[in-house]
Amino acid sequence: MHSLVQPDAWVALKLPNGTLRVLQVTPNTTVSLGKYGSFPSNLIIHRPYHLTYELQDKREGENFSRLRIVPASELYADILTSSASSSAPGSPTLAPEDDDADAELPTGVEYSLVDATSGAVVAKTDRAAVLDEASALRQTLSVEEIEALKQDGTNAGKDLIAKLMLSHTALDQKTEYSLAKYKLLKTKKYIRRFCVTPLDVPMFDHWLLEEKDPIKILDMREEMIALLGCWANVHYGGVDRCENATDEEPQAESTALDHSAGRWLVVDDTGGLLVAAMAERLGVLYPPEKEETLETYLESQKPPQQKEAASGPKSSKDEPDAEAPEEATEDASMQEEAKVEAQIDETKETDVKAESAQDPGSHGINPKKYPTGGPRHRSNDLAVPYAQSNTLTLLHHNSQANLSFLRYYDFDNTNPAQPLTHPLATNLMTLTWLQLLDPTADTAYMAEPPAVTPEELRGWKTNRRGNYHRKRRRWARVRHVVDTTRAGGFSGLVVASTMDPISVMKHAVPLLAGGAPIAIYSQSVEALTALVDCYSIARRTAWISNPPEGAAGKTPEELETWEGNDEFPLNPTLVLGAALQTSRVRKWQVLPGRTHPLMTSKGGAEGYIFTAWRVKPAEGKIEARGKGRHSKRRKVGE
Amino acid sequence: MTKPSPFLNPGQTTKAGSLAIVHLSRDNLVPAILDDTVGEVNGYAEGTVINTRFGSFPHSTLIGQPWGSQIRASVVDTGSRGRKRKVRDDTDEPSNDTEEAASAKKPATAASGFVHVLPPTPEIWTMSLPHRTQVVYTPDYSYILHRIRARPGMRIIEAGAGSGSFTHASVRAVYNGYPTAAEDRKGKVYSFEFNEARFQAMEREVKAHDLSDLVQITHRDVYNDGFLVNGESPEADCVFLDLPAPWKALPHLSRHRPATEAVNGQDQPWVSPLRSDRAVHLCTFSPCIEQVTRTVDAMRRLGWMEIEMVEVAHKRIGVLRERVGLNMPGDRGSNQSPYDVAEAVNRLREVEGRFKEFHGRNQKAAKSANDDDVDMNDSVEASAAETNGAGREAAAEPPSDNAPSVPSFMMGRLVHRTEPEIKTHTSYLVFAVLPQEWTEEQEAAAFEKWPCGKESKVIGSLDKETRKKEKRELLKGKKKRKSEK
Ligand SMILES: C[S@@+](CC[C@H](N)C(=O)[O-])C[C@H]1O[C@@H](n2cnc3c(N)ncnc32)[C@H](O)[C@@H]1O
Repeated sequence: MHSLVQPDAWVALKLPNGTLRVLQVTPNTTVSLGKYGSFPSNLIIHRPYHLTYELQDKREGENFSRLRIVPASELYADILTSSASSSAPGSPTLAPEDDDADAELPTGVEYSLVDATSGAVVAKTDRAAVLDEASALRQTLSVEEIEALKQDGTNAGKDLIAKLMLSHTALDQKTEYSLAKYKLLKTKKYIRRFCVTPLDVPMFDHWLLEEKDPIKILDMREEMIALLGCWANVHYGGVDRCENATDEEPQAESTALDHSAGRWLVVDDTGGLLVAAMAERLGVLYPPEKEETLETYLESQKPPQQKEAASGPKSSKDEPDAEAPEEATEDASMQEEAKVEAQIDETKETDVKAESAQDPGSHGINPKKYPTGGPRHRSNDLAVPYAQSNTLTLLHHNSQANLSFLRYYDFDNTNPAQPLTHPLATNLMTLTWLQLLDPTADTAYMAEPPAVTPEELRGWKTNRRGNYHRKRRRWARVRHVVDTTRAGGFSGLVVASTMDPISVMKHAVPLLAGGAPIAIYSQSVEALTALVDCYSIARRTAWISNPPEGAAGKTPEELETWEGNDEFPLNPTLVLGAALQTSRVRKWQVLPGRTHPLMTSKGGAEGYIFTAWRVKPAEGKIEARGKGRHSKRRKVGE
Repeated sequence: MTKPSPFLNPGQTTKAGSLAIVHLSRDNLVPAILDDTVGEVNGYAEGTVINTRFGSFPHSTLIGQPWGSQIRASVVDTGSRGRKRKVRDDTDEPSNDTEEAASAKKPATAASGFVHVLPPTPEIWTMSLPHRTQVVYTPDYSYILHRIRARPGMRIIEAGAGSGSFTHASVRAVYNGYPTAAEDRKGKVYSFEFNEARFQAMEREVKAHDLSDLVQITHRDVYNDGFLVNGESPEADCVFLDLPAPWKALPHLSRHRPATEAVNGQDQPWVSPLRSDRAVHLCTFSPCIEQVTRTVDAMRRLGWMEIEMVEVAHKRIGVLRERVGLNMPGDRGSNQSPYDVAEAVNRLREVEGRFKEFHGRNQKAAKSANDDDVDMNDSVEASAAETNGAGREAAAEPPSDNAPSVPSFMMGRLVHRTEPEIKTHTSYLVFAVLPQEWTEEQEAAAFEKWPCGKESKVIGSLDKETRKKEKRELLKGKKKRKSEK
């Protein structure tokens, strides 16, 4: 994973001015960096990540710019010399106060031309050359002249910078510091360098937050994602498959690790960012990589005979595996079906909304009534592709989950022909709140397509037959997901949602295994303080000592699905250790003699995290041990 | 294969010989390896017993329980222990069978007291572990592991192991199954510690937590001796250094023999502890800014890229009911001052009224006996006190819109506060990336496989001018449409 840039991979290009360009590296295209220039995409395909490139001038007879890897020694040359000189006793220290002082340039000192945020030197000055040109170039450059220089585009912009500097003002009247500052500004604008980084979850979040659309991800910062994943204890939890496993090993281990069932329940209103982050922790986010050349790539892009590639390059590229060919041949018809389905879903969606608005879950869950596993024997249409463990189960409020951000990871949950080679196809399940709380009201769950005898099937047209199989498969999947979810036993709950967390907890907590951790993100603190208050000590004590009407005399099992009333919106004994926290990362600039926190950073929603554990209350009345008694007891204990 | 670690796969119930966490209160979690020894242990007939201020809990009552279970305290006889210590505690129930310990004694449930038993997680472990050093807490390690891309299947180098807080978090992050054979490459933690006692404690812990196959702990001074294990490379994908002088360890984390090492051992081939075919992510953790400066300088010299330094500011937040009002119950946590101006004025009016009433009465009395000054002063004071009390009583009658049935846990306003003590500084986190090597031969081969010159279209960004133009046109179009309407 993320060793070499794969064809069609999504990457983030870091530009000298600190911005990111996120794009998909399509082979045989020209990547434009705007004012910084452009280069062929093939030059970064199957090349390592994290290298810093410089666009070179076009070679004679070539119509494209080649790239040069800029070594670290070159990037840092000036910082390192300046740190050496500033640590030497008696050398002048640089401070912002020097800015406008008319100090003379110390001789033999290089200018520190560094990018303040990354600490990297963006360009190196050659003092001799600078001075040489200084005498030749005294006047300020006009805008036209700058443009003309840019057109030249020579020497990766360094010449331009040097000239701009010299034209700015007489060199010897500038202090080292102000000169450096000026050049830095110019450098950020004109140097033709970039760095290729993988669009993994940390980078993706960073980009969404800083440049794209922080609202869509509820302002969820990296530190929040990290805390959620840890507190919900989300980790690889099974043996089914993992993107890093070099060889598929037999499933023997699964019996040894019985109940390894790493199954996490997720509620995600961040367009799939949370799912992506948790999938990354499970090791099921990235599709497998393969060795390719342009030739084999183009070959694989060719549509299968007789049929145009209906879904574009992606789905036909991710080829065969035992089950895939069948899926692939049905591709075209399925695309059609999908459209129809999407329409149905759209009309349905409004219904679901209406329903959940007026009645947010008055349906209790009784997991035991819905045993897992459908009647598989009838036909292998009913064999579901889902993994037993190391899975995410997403509860969503539209009839189709909004996981649009997963497209950056080659996964499209709205595509029924999503190839099974993507780990999310087998390890991510989705269901609606309606399917969870009242499956009988859900058409997809209820409408079992009739079983047709093989003889009858053979008589059908291919299209109709494909349609039939597809419907039955879809139904089997819905059944499986709904039934296994309702059976509960989840290893943890992770939430980043705009929905009232109390309502989420009411229905999600009963689905959790004992001891399972809970982690809920909210943009603002109020929703979470209300949730914590449901579990206050005073409330729990009251629940135990003086149970509300309807709760008295019931067993703990019966009270798992407590409906809630004004005084006890939730059963306060099902959750332990309810706590709230927040965290914020502050960035610093580290430069010799100029180390300090950055002056500005993003505001927006602060973001808070609720954490707790699911517990199983003991049967019968239980009394906490009082204060008065324990002083004597303690003596015994110590 | 050993049995799976309770940290990674606790199963459904607590097991003898396996770690469990006994949750007493929010800040009091006790880790315990459950012991099913039958017969007397430490003078307890019930076997091993955990004694807490919430009661006594014989391990036998904690074993075989579903995780998360609430466990009742037991009546445990401490007679023999008490006698041995010569501190006889009379409040304990008398018991006759203390001395015949060899057989199992089934503990009797106590009238009150309970705990919950939780499966261990790195978060709980960090809260409850035996401290041998400063440790890295959840807000820091969660962010660090996220940033250094510690994911299933990765190999991570960690030094020093210290108290093992970070070790437990990182093994969860990189875990992708136990290796089934010697050559089976799985996610793994390579941990280094040079303090002998801490190294041994770590070794014991790793074993007790069934992590031996996933955590390789090495007794080593990494400044001088680097990160190879038995001469072999861990092939690390990511590195975390929590050491006083990270810059002394950094030269070992190179792709090639560092210049500083060239003098000694030139003849032997140099092996890098890093994975060669991808970028390596690194984090160092240092409390002082001077350490950061030196570390960053070393990183730059050694070719680390994307160097970034941050601090994590974390706060725990308390949620409480702020109960302010003259009518609030007089228990702890309530503030019996007026809820609002109206309540304040009401009360002042009442005081005023009573005072006038009293004063009027008194004036009449004074007219009849105007030589009794001292008495009068006394009675004014007395009456004022009485008025105060009465006022309070009067205000205690709930206002009409506040239904009398509101339970105390719902009274007042719901508020939150930062915990009383904040960790304002833990350490500075320096992140960096070391890209993989890319030789000219490799580049030539890649260029061969992915030749250029047949580009069909342009992707990526347009420059500012073109974008502006497009926007202008878009706006024009919109305006047109509007004017058409
Ligand atoms: C602050 S502690 C690490 C705490 C640990 N990260 C945790 O979360 O528990 C630092 C440890 O580094 C060890 N150490 C210091 N110098 C070392 C060296 N040169 N090689 C190996 N370990 C070293 C110390 O003995 C100490 O235990």
